[in-house]
Amino acid sequence: MIAAPVAGAAPTLSVEVNGAPDTLPAGATILDALRAAGVHLPTLCHDERLTPIGVCRLCLVRVQGWARAVPACSTPLLDGMRIETNARDLEDARRTALTLLARRYPADGVERDPHKEFHRAILEHGLERELLQASAPGPIDRSHPYIAVDMSRCIDCYRCVRICDEVQGQFVWHVRDRGLDTQIVPDGPSLFESSCVGCGACVDTCPTGALDDAARSRLGAASAWTNTTCPYCGVGCEMSVGARDGRIVAVKPVLDAPVNKGHLCVKGRYAFEFVGADDRVLDPMIRTGGQWRCTSWDEALTFAAARLGDLVARHGPDSVGVLGSARATNEENYLAQKFARVVLGTNNVDCCARVCHAPSAAALKHSLGTGLGTNSFDDIEIARTILVCGANPTENHPVVGARIKQAVRRGAALIVVDPRRIELASLATCHLAVRPGTNVPLLNAMAHAILAKDLVDRRFLEARVDGVETFARSVEAWTPERAAVVCGVDAELIRRAARLYATRAPAMSIHGLGLTEHVQGTDGVTLLINLALLTGNIGKPGTGINPLRGQNNVQGAAHMGCEPNTLPGAASPKDGRAVFEQAWKREIPSTHGLHLLHMMDAALDGRFNALWTIGYDVLLTNANASETVRAMRALDLVIVQDLFLTETAREVGSVFFPACSSLEKDGTFMNAERRIQRVRQVVRPLGQSRPDWRIICDLARAMGHGELFDFREPEAIWNEVRALCEGARGMSYARLDRGGLQWPCPSEDHPGTSILHRDSFAAGPRAVLHGVAYQPSRESTGPEYPFVLNTGRSLYQFNAGTMTGRTPNNALRPSDLLDMCPDDADRLGLSEGDTARVISRYGSAVLPVRLNAGVQPGQLFATFHTPSIFLNSTTGSHRDGATGTPEYKVAAVRVERTA
Amino acid sequence: MCTKGIHVVFFVSSCFRGPVMIMEPLLTKYVREPNCFTLDFYLKHEGYEGLKKALALTPDQVVEMVKASGLRGRGGAGFPTGMKWQFVDKRSPNPRYIACNADESEPGTFKDHLLMERNPHLLIEGCAIACHAIGARVAYVYIRGEFFHVQRVLERAIDEAYRAGFLGRNVFGSGFDCDVYIHRGAGAYEAGEETALLESLEGKRAQPRNKPPFPAVIGLYNCPTAVNNVETLANVPLILRNGAEWFAALGPEKNGGPKLFCISGHVKRPGVYEASMTMTLRELIEGCAGGVREGRTLKAVIPGGSSVPMLMPDQLDAQASFDGVQKAGSLLGSAGLIVLDDTACMVWLAENLLHFYRHESCGKCTPCREGTDWLHKILRRIERGEGHMRDLDLLSSISGSIGGKTLCAFGDAAITPVLTTLKHFRHEYEAHIREGRCTLPASWRARHAAGAR
Ligand SMILES: Cc1cc2nc3c(=O)[nH]c(=O)nc-3n(C[C@H](O)[C@H](O)[C@H](O)COP(=O)(O)O)c2cc1C
Ligand code: SF4
Ligand code: SF4
Ligand code: FES
Repeated sequence: MIAAPVAGAAPTLSVEVNGAPDTLPAGATILDALRAAGVHLPTLCHDERLTPIGVCRLCLVRVQGWARAVPACSTPLLDGMRIETNARDLEDARRTALTLLARRYPADGVERDPHKEFHRAILEHGLERELLQASAPGPIDRSHPYIAVDMSRCIDCYRCVRICDEVQGQFVWHVRDRGLDTQIVPDGPSLFESSCVGCGACVDTCPTGALDDAARSRLGAASAWTNTTCPYCGVGCEMSVGARDGRIVAVKPVLDAPVNKGHLCVKGRYAFEFVGADDRVLDPMIRTGGQWRCTSWDEALTFAAARLGDLVARHGPDSVGVLGSARATNEENYLAQKFARVVLGTNNVDCCARVCHAPSAAALKHSLGTGLGTNSFDDIEIARTILVCGANPTENHPVVGARIKQAVRRGAALIVVDPRRIELASLATCHLAVRPGTNVPLLNAMAHAILAKDLVDRRFLEARVDGVETFARSVEAWTPERAAVVCGVDAELIRRAARLYATRAPAMSIHGLGLTEHVQGTDGVTLLINLALLTGNIGKPGTGINPLRGQNNVQGAAHMGCEPNTLPGAASPKDGRAVFEQAWKREIPSTHGLHLLHMMDAALDGRFNALWTIGYDVLLTNANASETVRAMRALDLVIVQDLFLTETAREVGSVFFPACSSLEKDGTFMNAERRIQRVRQVVRPLGQSRPDWRIICDLARAMGHGELFDFREPEAIWNEVRALCEGARGMSYARLDRGGLQWPCPSEDHPGTSILHRDSFAAGPRAVLHGVAYQPSRESTGPEYPFVLNTGRSLYQFNAGTMTGRTPNNALRPSDLLDMCPDDADRLGLSEGDTARVISRYGSAVLPVRLNAGVQPGQLFATFHTPSIFLNSTTGSHRDGATGTPEYKVAAVRVERTA
Repeated sequence: MCTKGIHVVFFVSSCFRGPVMIMEPLLTKYVREPNCFTLDFYLKHEGYEGLKKALALTPDQVVEMVKASGLRGRGGAGFPTGMKWQFVDKRSPNPRYIACNADESEPGTFKDHLLMERNPHLLIEGCAIACHAIGARVAYVYIRGEFFHVQRVLERAIDEAYRAGFLGRNVFGSGFDCDVYIHRGAGAYEAGEETALLESLEGKRAQPRNKPPFPAVIGLYNCPTAVNNVETLANVPLILRNGAEWFAALGPEKNGGPKLFCISGHVKRPGVYEASMTMTLRELIEGCAGGVREGRTLKAVIPGGSSVPMLMPDQLDAQASFDGVQKAGSLLGSAGLIVLDDTACMVWLAENLLHFYRHESCGKCTPCREGTDWLHKILRRIERGEGHMRDLDLLSSISGSIGGKTLCAFGDAAITPVLTTLKHFRHEYEAHIREGRCTLPASWRARHAAGAR
């Protein structure tokens, strides 16, 4: 009936649309040809993100010589096609199909929201009179805080079902019954009680009002849309934010965004109401006699400048320090470290990378010459094997998690190293449920297995790697059998995983804090790099070592120099000093500088007197909270710059600078794949709040250094960064406008760098394998503390909960939970929902118990999102040897039932 | 009209032209024998000889033979089977599959059921030969959801075939491996559409895919697949045993082999009849099935299951072949001859069939899902005497917007009863509308109502 596609199709296709000739690239569909020709047809079941299924039959066209009319959306374009769209019978059929749908569709929805695709089609065809005037029967489900369901408006296009399957991979929407009785239903009694993860993809694609943002009825429709980068995790999704009367009312994903390709997660898509939360601090404040008092910017700045100046004068510049922020832009972090080095004259500057991926940066820099993640998210679709180590992307980096799930659906092998049976583990080819704190022996054993079976990439080793012999000796004793005993993972499983990673190339490694937040965090990452080097899985598409950075701009904060021994562009003080001293006309201090944890130590010793913390709740997030409190209390001055009165501000703050959120300012963020993306102001800063960059400039001016901080807008700051950092030179705001660019991008005609270390390493032509000896965690379990507590994050809350905790996400996850395997719970007489006290050597916390068979016996997992629970009271003071990153993932505890 | 769930005893017979039997039955010869479904019985009657011969040939030679035999698909479309096998993509690195369509749900069609129940090894042998021909190692037999009993018979036969080495590893020592699996559907007419069948086999809803690509290129699990009807595959061993020329000579040109006709409706002896396609429709209806009941006159015949246009009594001298029926203005389809005498109300008939199609529409595409319902509502209105003259134009125009516009051929099937009754019996519709009731005698109408739902 229909000609089969011709083999070796021509690179361009010559076709005719309604008599007008046109040429299109191979791989196009008929719909592409229609769009190129400016022919508009309603396409109600079509969405660029989905495999076309051609079911609404509104885009039917006729191809000369073909017996049946075909849907343009799902029919590949072939060379020589002559396409007709306006034959009488096609137009009749289109009208009839729309009429048929209109006859059972309530009219009021069309009036309320004429822009929805289906409504537009009805209006364009003048079929308003066909609409149902009464309200139609159909299940209405208002259970979900974000997604309103009214299936009386469903036209059975299946877009919701398909996007949930094909993009989010959650399979929430099911189709029940058939024909006209077809119903789209969630996989639970209500959407709230279903497996829905609230990504809103179905809402985004639904062409009618059947699935809609619940907030719409409360907040109204947006009147203007602005594209910006998500304020949450390090994936860095691009989103379009809708505002109305100076208020954010909606968020949509950006369809052609390189990172998220038209997808978002529940946080980015829905958790925006923190911006206007009732308890947002909108005035500068000074605390006197224990009481906060609102004041003017002038007074607050003058006060802070005087105190800082005084302390520096009395105790020397190294008695004060600044913390940059992962929530602040690159421009602002650049200014923060510049302030520390130029205004205060100290290298005491750090950011929250210290408590998350500092080990990744240190190990990558040591082994490969740069601390940046090596590849891009687009490599997920290329990799044939994906190794996820100590990361739970489907909860904490959901858009990347969804991409991994789809890759697995398409046939990628997945290896998961994680003590818990996380969602990805249930999809994995191999799940290595490693005992917390034993990543090093496990990875050593994988290297052993690869070397023992000679699965290494010989040519790669010969060309680019040194130290193979020495390294091989270092893992010789780590047979999988020996590691099995230490790690609690079957030796054969270790071998199988090693074989997969080594032989099913390209293999991509993705890791998270489960690898870094250990006393051997840096060592663990080093070993992961060794595996990649041994097997040639680096410098190529679909490979690499890819830390999933936690916060949207934690990568940028560190990269802009918010670390004691790093200058902007991750330059070392040794190499970078000259350039920056010349530009800043100041000498860069020669002392090493204190990182965050050392600042705390020094404070306890009385050697550190003041801290300016920008967008960082140190008290709530540092491990071993009681020690942190003592350290912070010892300070003479704590300047807190934030949106809210954080725990740090409440406990120890002296001055409060009200900052504004990233939705209220301009700038750039750098995501986990080194992509610099624009942040754009959606609404004006609320109240007296100011962007961080302005506050830093203001304080610099108040301290008499205005000339080096004379910026009118973020672009000027960025241009200074570009002038000083070669890697940023090519990234003008104009070029960043669409989709951003990946660091390094040294010139205006450079496309940016999607894969590092292609031909040689940043460090030189050859990398060195570094052997690592195993040092067990010093957190020992025993009769008094029989459990190992592992801490981490979850889907619906973000880190310390500062933002998500002020949104309806609370309805989706009201509290931190203590996950425990049912057997252990049984033994302790605990059941689901009981409250328990977790007691460690450092402190205790009380929280509800959740039974979770994915947690191993003897282990516990809890999140740290809820300030009132304050889980970090229980985490310990052990630190990664190389970077000081606390061991959040291992604490010996006992659990007691509370009354 | 749909036979779902009803146990029907059929006449099964070969066909006579006048007093002369014109063809020895081949597919159904032994169906009355008590043990005809056992392997022992089958082996006594040339069982698995065809497979043995096939394995001595190259796959291409088997395909050529089937092409030369003039075997055409018995599932409805009558597409040449050899050609379908030839289209199976040989360059694909993926495995290939045979999917046997045993969903038999077309109203008025009940031949595959009989074959599987009484001659299961013939189908299994056909599956194995088909696998060899296209280079597959696995055949799936997708049987209709209601066929519990048939499933048991087939499973037993498959077990026997494995034990005897006709299935499994290294069949006849030739190195050929072949597995046959049964998958029973959940009971949906649309599951018989070939791509819907593949979706259902994959564990999804039985909803069709857009074509192209055709199953021969992207079929089961995205691998090249040939979908063949039960009767089609059952004919294949005959071709191998007796040769393509012999097979071709059994029927008219390009309509080779024996054919099973399901004759139902207002005839004296409804049943499955095996005949050559050289017969005429009249010979089948009047000769084999004994014609309409005493005192009645023939009103119309639907020759190919409910989805094809009607033929009028004066058109029945058409040859009962794919080409012959097509020339007469209809289609042989599944060869389910539904015979209607003068007691049949054509409005009722259309309403009844649209009730079926509305109920069976899978709902994937808009015109069929919404349109069949609307058609049915209008027909019900007319049948109850509540219609308007303008409804007749509405029926035509809605049908026009469904025909050729749906995702699968179901839409075309669904509008056929409407268009064909409107074409030949518009006056009955008009009478219904004018009189506000059916104009047939009341005693006949009562029967309609009882059988309708
Ligand atoms: C709605 C619909 C239902 C069908 N049902 C059946 C069926 O029950 N059995 C069958 O063999 N073919 C059925 N077909 C035809 C199949 O799609 C396909 O053409 C056939 O299985 C091919 O086999 P053949 O070439 O051996 O005839 C159906 C087609 C449509 C459109
Ligand atoms: S709910 Fe919306 S997206 Fe889903 S099938 Fe119905 S109309 Fe389509
Ligand atoms: S024509 Fe009917 S049966 Fe076929 S896909 Fe469309 S709705 Fe389903
Ligand atoms: S958009 Fe093409 S059929 Fe729906």
